[in-house]
Formats: sequence, C-alpha cells, structure tokens
Amino acid sequence: MLTGKKITVVLSILFILSFTLASMAAEYVPGTPLKAGFIYVGPVGDLGWSHAHDEARRICEDTFPWLETVYVESVPEGNEGLYIDKLIQEEKCDVVFTTSFGFMDGTVMAAQRHPEKILAHCSGFKRTPNLMTYMADFYQIYYLNGLMAGALTKTNKTAYVGAFPIPEVKRHMDAFTIGVKETNPEAEVHVRWIYEWFSPTAAKEAAEALIAEGCDVFAFTEDSPTVVQVAAEKGYPSFGHYSPMYDFSPDYVVSGQIAHWEAIYLDFLAKVYAGVYKAHNLADLDYWWLLKEKAVEIGAKPGMLINPLFEDDLKAKKVNDPVLGEINVYDLVMKRLEQMSDPSMVFDPFNGPVYDREGKLRVPEGSRMSVYELTTMEWAAQGIVGPWE
Amino acid sequence: MGWENWIISTFSRSLAYGTPLLLGTLGEIYSERSGVLNLGVEGMMIMGAYSAFTTTYMTKNPWFGILVAGIIGGIFSLIHAFTSITLKANQTVSGLSLTMLGLGLSGVLGKGWEGKPLPSTIPKMIITPLNSLPVLGPIFFQGQNLIVYFTLILVPILWYILFRTRIGITIRAVGESPATADSQGINVARVRYVCVFIGGILAGTAGGYLSVAYRPAWTEGMTAGMGWIVIALTIFSFWNPINGMLGAFLFAALYHLSFRLQSYISPELLKAMPYAMAIIVLIFVSRGNLQKRVGAPAALSLPYMRGED
Amino acid sequence: MISAKKWRFKIEERSSVSNSRVLLTSILAILAALIIVGIFFQFYGVSAFKAYRLIFSGSLGSRFGLAEIVRRAIPLLLCGVGLTLAFRALFWNIGAEGQLLIGAVAATGIALFSKLPPFLLLPAMFLGGFIGGALWGIVPAFLKVILGINEVIATLMMNYMAIYLVEWLIHGPWKGPSARGFAYSDPFPPSAMLPTITGTRIHWPTLIIGLVISVLIYILIVHTKSGLEVRVMGENPEAARYAGINPLKVTLLVMLISGGLAGLAGVGEIAGIHQRLLGPTHISMGYGYTAVIVAWLARRNPLAVIFTSLFFALLITGGDVIKVSLGFPSQMINVFNGAILFFLIGSEFFLRYRISFIGRR
Repeated sequence: MLTGKKITVVLSILFILSFTLASMAAEYVPGTPLKAGFIYVGPVGDLGWSHAHDEARRICEDTFPWLETVYVESVPEGNEGLYIDKLIQEEKCDVVFTTSFGFMDGTVMAAQRHPEKILAHCSGFKRTPNLMTYMADFYQIYYLNGLMAGALTKTNKTAYVGAFPIPEVKRHMDAFTIGVKETNPEAEVHVRWIYEWFSPTAAKEAAEALIAEGCDVFAFTEDSPTVVQVAAEKGYPSFGHYSPMYDFSPDYVVSGQIAHWEAIYLDFLAKVYAGVYKAHNLADLDYWWLLKEKAVEIGAKPGMLINPLFEDDLKAKKVNDPVLGEINVYDLVMKRLEQMSDPSMVFDPFNGPVYDREGKLRVPEGSRMSVYELTTMEWAAQGIVGPWE
Repeated sequence: MGWENWIISTFSRSLAYGTPLLLGTLGEIYSERSGVLNLGVEGMMIMGAYSAFTTTYMTKNPWFGILVAGIIGGIFSLIHAFTSITLKANQTVSGLSLTMLGLGLSGVLGKGWEGKPLPSTIPKMIITPLNSLPVLGPIFFQGQNLIVYFTLILVPILWYILFRTRIGITIRAVGESPATADSQGINVARVRYVCVFIGGILAGTAGGYLSVAYRPAWTEGMTAGMGWIVIALTIFSFWNPINGMLGAFLFAALYHLSFRLQSYISPELLKAMPYAMAIIVLIFVSRGNLQKRVGAPAALSLPYMRGED
Repeated sequence: MISAKKWRFKIEERSSVSNSRVLLTSILAILAALIIVGIFFQFYGVSAFKAYRLIFSGSLGSRFGLAEIVRRAIPLLLCGVGLTLAFRALFWNIGAEGQLLIGAVAATGIALFSKLPPFLLLPAMFLGGFIGGALWGIVPAFLKVILGINEVIATLMMNYMAIYLVEWLIHGPWKGPSARGFAYSDPFPPSAMLPTITGTRIHWPTLIIGLVISVLIYILIVHTKSGLEVRVMGENPEAARYAGINPLKVTLLVMLISGGLAGLAGVGEIAGIHQRLLGPTHISMGYGYTAVIVAWLARRNPLAVIFTSLFFALLITGGDVIKVSLGFPSQMINVFNGAILFFLIGSEFFLRYRISFIGRR
C-alpha cells in the first residue's frame, strides 16, 4: 500500500527530475554590485506603509551607485515565499526585504531554503543566521503629537482613528494618550477602529463619528490622508501619518509622523556592501530604530516640525513639569524631542510609573519597557475611551 | 450627548455617504429594468473616480471632473452593452470582466496620481436661512453639496419616468418581455443600450463624487466594494428608485452607526448586518403574493434574440 | 442590430458546436486579446514581445512557475467543478468565495480545537470543510426554491457574511496567543498540515481530490438519474415540472455539492498553504469569483474545468511574473484578464450563432 509519505516522495522526485536543478546560488561578495529586492503587502500608491518603503528604496538606489533594486507590490500574505524565490532565483537578488508582519513565517522558511542569501523582515521577531529584523517605530512621535493635542483641544476630547487593534497601533495610542495627559490631565482620547490598513470610506466615517462625539483634535493610523481632510473640513487640527500630509490641508495639519525607512536600508545595505553583515551573522541583528537613529521624524512635512500657525497656541499653554518646572508646551515638545534624540535617550514616554485604564500599574517607577514589552503591548493607557479589541 | 446629536449626525452622514450608493443604484435599476444585469458597477465607478480626479487636477474645475466621470462611466458601460446586447453574451461573466478591467485600467493609469492634493473640490454648501431650522437645518442645509441635492431630485424624476411615462413602459416592457415589445415595434437593443448607458453615466458620476467631493484624493481601489453594495441595493429596492433611495440611505446610516456604536456592538456584526438585513428583508417581502408584484424583471440577464429576421 | 441599411445578414442559432470549433475560436479570441494588450504594453513603454516572452518563460518555462500554476489551479478546480453542476441547474451560485471561507473556518476549528488523534485530523478537516461549505451553500438554495429569492443576491450577501465571520474569529475568539496580538489564529499542529510536493506548494492530496471529483461529477451529470434531473431542470424547467422532478430536491443536491466542494477548496488553502486562519482576502484572493468564470469558460463541463482552471492559474501566475520582472503595477493583471475575458465572451457569439450574408436588400 502506498502511504501518504511515499506518494509525496515519489511525486517530489518526479517533479524535481523533470527539471534541471536550479544552479547553486553563490554568496554575495562584498564590494561587488549588489541587487536588493523589496516585497510590499500593499500597492505603492497607498500613501502609507508600502509607499514609504518604496520612497526609501528609491533613495537607496539614488544614493548607492553599486545598488540595483526591484520591488513587488500587493503581495498577499502567504505568497511571500514564492516571490522571495523568484527574486533570488530569477532576479538574482542578494538581499530581500519583506515588509509585512504577516510575511514572517514565509520569510523564515525562505531563509532556510536560501542559506547563502541575506533576508530582512520588517516588524517581526523571528531571526535566523541569514535573516534579520527591522522596524522604525513611531511611538515617541505619537507621544510628542499627544503633547500638542492635549494643549490644542478645547473640548478636552481628542480622537484617534486606529487601523487594527494590534500591539503596534495600541502602543501608538498609549504613547499619544500619555502625551495628551501630560499637557492636559482633563483630556480624553476617544478611539475608533476601522479594521483595515487602507480604507478611505471607513476612516472618513470613523472620523465623522468621533466629531459627532465632540472630539476636536485628530490623530490616526491609516494609509490615506482621509482623517486629515475630514478634520480640516470642520476646522479641526490633526496630525499626519506616515507620509507628509501638510499639503492636504496646510491650515490644519499641526504636525505628524514621517517615516524614514531609508535610514535603516542605507545603513544595512552599506554594511552588507562593506562585508560587515553576511549570510551567517544576522541571528542577533534587530534594527529597532527610533528618533535618535533618525529613522522617524516629527513634522507636518520634512523640515517643518510644527506648523507655524499653531506655534502661538502651543506657547500660550503652560504646564508644570516636576523636573523642568513651568514650561510652555512648545518648549516642552522641543525639550522632549531633544531628550529622546539624545543617544542615551534620557527620556522615554513609557518611563514608569505608567498605569493602564483599569488602574493597574504597568510600568513600575524607575523602569522602562523593553523592546519585547513594547512590541507585545495590549493594555490601554489611562485616558483612552472606547473599544479596545 | 443629546438625541439631536445622534439624529443629526446619523442623517447627515447617511446623506453624504449614501449619495454615491444611490447614484449607482439608480443607474443599475434602469439597466436591470431593461433586462441587462450589469455586475460591472465597481469597474465603472472606479473609472469615474479616476477620471474625475485627473480631470479636476488638470483643469482645476471639479464640475468638469464630474462631467468627465459621467461620460467615461457611460463609455465604459458600452463595452458591457456591446457584449451582452449585441453579442448576446453571458451577462454575469461580462459584468465581472468589466469590474476587473475597470479596477485594472484605473490602477495602471492612476500610478503617480496618488498623494496629490486637488487644487479645488466640490464645495460644501451652507444654505441660509434654512440651515437654522432645528434638526432639519444641520442635516439638509449645512455642509452637503450640490451633487447630493441633484441626486435627491433625480429620484422622483427617475421614478416618474419609469412608472408614469411611455418611456418607462417601454423600458419595463423590454425587461419583462422583449419578444412582445419587439412585436409592438420597439427596438429592444436600442432601449437596452440606452439604459445600460444611463447606468454607466450614473455609476461614473458616483465614482467622481468619491474622488472630488466625498474624500478628494486618488488611490487605487478606492471604491473598495461599493459597486457590490450597489448590486445588493438594486435588488433590495425591488427595482424601484424610491426604495433604492431608502435602501441606500438606510445602509449608509447603519454604516455610520457602526462606528458610533463600536463600544457596544461587535464591529464585524455591525458590518455584516446590512448584508444579513438585505436577506431578511427579502425573506419577509417574498411571503405571500408580493413576489409577483415586486419581483425581478422577467427577462433580467437573458439576451434577446429575434426569432426571424 | 446587425442588419445595416443595405446589407443583410442572417443570424441563426447553431444547433450543435463541435469541440474543435470551440477550441479554435477560443484560441483565436485569446490571440486577439493578446494583441490588444500588447498594444497597451507598448503604450506603457514596454516591448510587447519582451513582456510575453517573460510571461510564458516565467510561468510555463520554469519549475517554480509550473508549480505555482498547479497550486493555484487547485482551488479554482474544486470551486469550478461545483459551479458547473450548479450552473447546469441554472442556479447562479456567486457564493463560492463565501463557501470556501466557511470551509476554511470549519477546518481551522477542527485543527485547533478537536483534539482528534493525528491520523484522523486531516480527514476530519476535509469532512468538516465540506459540511461547512455545503451548509453555507444550501441556505440560498432554500431561499430560492421556497421563497423565490434571487440566488445571485443571496449568495453574494452570504459572501460578505462569511468574510465578517472570519474577521470576527481572527480578531476575537480564535486570535492566537502566538501571533503577538496580530489578527491570526495559532498555527496548526503538524498533523493538520497537508503534505506538499517538495520544493513547491502543491498540496497534492487536494489536487487528487479535485481531479477525482471532476470525473465523479461528470459521471453524475451524464450517467445518473440525478444528473438527468439536473439537466432537465436547467434546460427546460417547464418539462421538469411535468416530469415530476422536485426542484427543491435537485437544487439542494446541487448546492450541497457545489458549496461542499468550495468548502474543500478552503480546507486545501488553509491546511496546505497557510496552516492558520488569517484575513479573508489572504485566504482566498477571489478564487470563488474567478471560479465563476472558470466554470463558464468550461461550458459547464466538469472535465473541461481541469483545463480552464489551469488556464486561469496560468494567467494569475503570468501576472506575478510581469509584476516581478517588468515592475508592472499589480493591477496590470486585471487589465490582462479583463481583456482576454471580453474577447472570449465575444467569441461565444460566433460559436452559438451562424452569421451569413444574404445579399443586398
């Protein structure tokens, strides 16, 4: 009797025999021209996550004369393995970046299939000798935006439209809320989820629902400028997300989060080119890059940290800080930015003590959250109002 | 939060979000009344959204953008008209193909247009002194735009044409029994072409509304399944423009409420509700003899072939 | 329509069409479409010859391309075969997408929570997936026969309900602790994973099931009493009523099988490819909708579905190739497929009707 295993073996052998074996791919020789492939989960035209990665890819290609790049957009999760194989075997890529959490397992398996190639997975936590992980995170920026939002709200209700209730977005909401509470202890952060990374209609109606609830300052996580536009229609200030959104409403975008994935890509690719990183020494390599590494930027657009139209309002609002004494919010933002940009990161939004909204102590006095704790964060900070799952 | 707040926000959002759904539904009602099922609404809508955006960007005139969106939607619908009327092809497959082609073409041509702010958009209107009316003022006369009013006016006109004029009788006759209509000297193909074309114009306009009024920006796939909701609403409406209006606004209201009530009800349940409701309503209405009176056009999705030439 | 003022054409319906004629016309239509799309490529700044060479060498000419074609054909085959049966009975099932998802849900439930002994797990998942898809499929069957509700709308609506059911499960009760807060279920135990041909993602047990079933369905349609009833009901509902054929029974049977097979496709995708429950658009990529076209193109013949599903899998895979090799936008595949479909639809006309020129008026 043929067992399942036997059939598998027979079919596999037949299949492999019917084609010539793929030629053994060689390891990258440092200093030679390098080809890098990028795999995106969404269309590069979404003005969000994939768009930002693609901008970074172009900057890399313009910067390094020895670098050639290819990319594939809109790859459904579960299909990453196929594209990694294609990029390596047909496009002869030396390095492949996969840029969605859902690509994690497929990337790990591909790394094992191609032990001589270098792979990099964005936002995951599994590594192998030839697979590193990387992430440019916004939580510090959201905190700084929160400081401003707390000062600007008149109704004491700020709003946050979230994509999915996952640790990344929850971390950003919590950081935003801690900022809001610091400059305005009375204020709340009202939350809505749209359960999509990209959905202009859902983002629009969620923002409208928050407006109906009385919110008057807006932050969000969604790959389109929708929330900025909705807020502007009603004359409410907002914070751009991912790409510079100042141009969509110059009068109402206060500031925002801007990604600079090129910081990570340039650094990593330069080190591969120099022979520092090879296909066998990546098991402990995790780029968790923040403000101090310049992988993220705060601003309404590059170079414009705070929209000048809001400077006076922020300077007029004063808070009492236990360390800094009485200080206006504009200066507080600058001070915190300076502290977090410092190589030793003298300040972090999640410096203890931090309590969640049930009153439970989450970060004890005098301690900070580890990268693991940050990336698996599920609790809601004090001041968050609304659904959490 | 007072009850006025809930009523005002629900109804005004219902108008704003329901308008593109209604435009699409009105068009599809005409198309199906003449016997042509057009599952390509999503494709025509996205072509409208794309062409309205690019036209507005280049001419700085959003009204011109809307006009072009309608024309492009109409032209695009003619592909379906040609295959399903002239070539008597399977309308389900032809419609699905039209959606594919529309999503594809707009996605390819739209590369490079994303992330550009429009120089001008369809303005929101504040109609004084009507806007100071209690409740009704903020719903109807504060912050809606001309396309919303135009669509609202279109509903009774399209209803009147369909049920009270000779033109309407002709359209319905073609959809119910093309052979009989043909024997009375009606050009079945011409009537169907016109109705599909109307459907295309309205779907294109709906797409234009999305990209230059509702949320002024272009992103590929931005219609995000609205075309399929239109197909559902058309059947939900029993091919009657007035019911179509009720359905579109009810759906839009529920969609908005799903965000306001998110703390209390599972969002997936609320999102699935309109679809479940469509089936439940169909179940209730189908009881008794209602079915005969409000059923689908008898010749829906059947190509017409003359016996003798 | 066709008759111009001076020239007159005669259009007659053909009584029968030979298989070779079908094949020839289809090939001509596809060639015409390739020319039109080639012109589009040229406008887009890419040599049409280069694009086509890459599409075919990348999909048909490479080991990976061929393997991908086969693995994508599996769900299209299972859904498509079921749909030929439904379409034979004139039941326009647009709901294979939802039935596939419910099959995936049922399989996930069994894989993660049933605690069955390992050797029983996969058979139980296939059985559960079939039942799940079948239940999802017979609801619109009941609605149509008993209440007269249009099946296109009912099946379409139920697709959305299935989508939100999956969304709810992965965000709520089935969200796996190992996913670190992301919306995925936990991965399946190894005994719930389908074996694949080494180096490919062809989960061959599902493929064999699909091939066997397409033969079985063919036999059912052509050689059994139930098949005869299905055909009579589809070709002449009036005659079916006089012959005493129970429409409820036939429709239920047809949708039980059609929904069940789509459910099996869902099991294959989840146990063969993903090994966990994840977002609905990642599970299926619209296989259920594409299968409608696959079944139609096969002219409702279950054996022909084997070829049409492979053909569409080739198109999808070819789209992948140009996405990578030419850096084309991902939507190019839709332009490509849309154009080919319209030409195929158009060619139908010349198959079904004979057009002859009969001189001046």
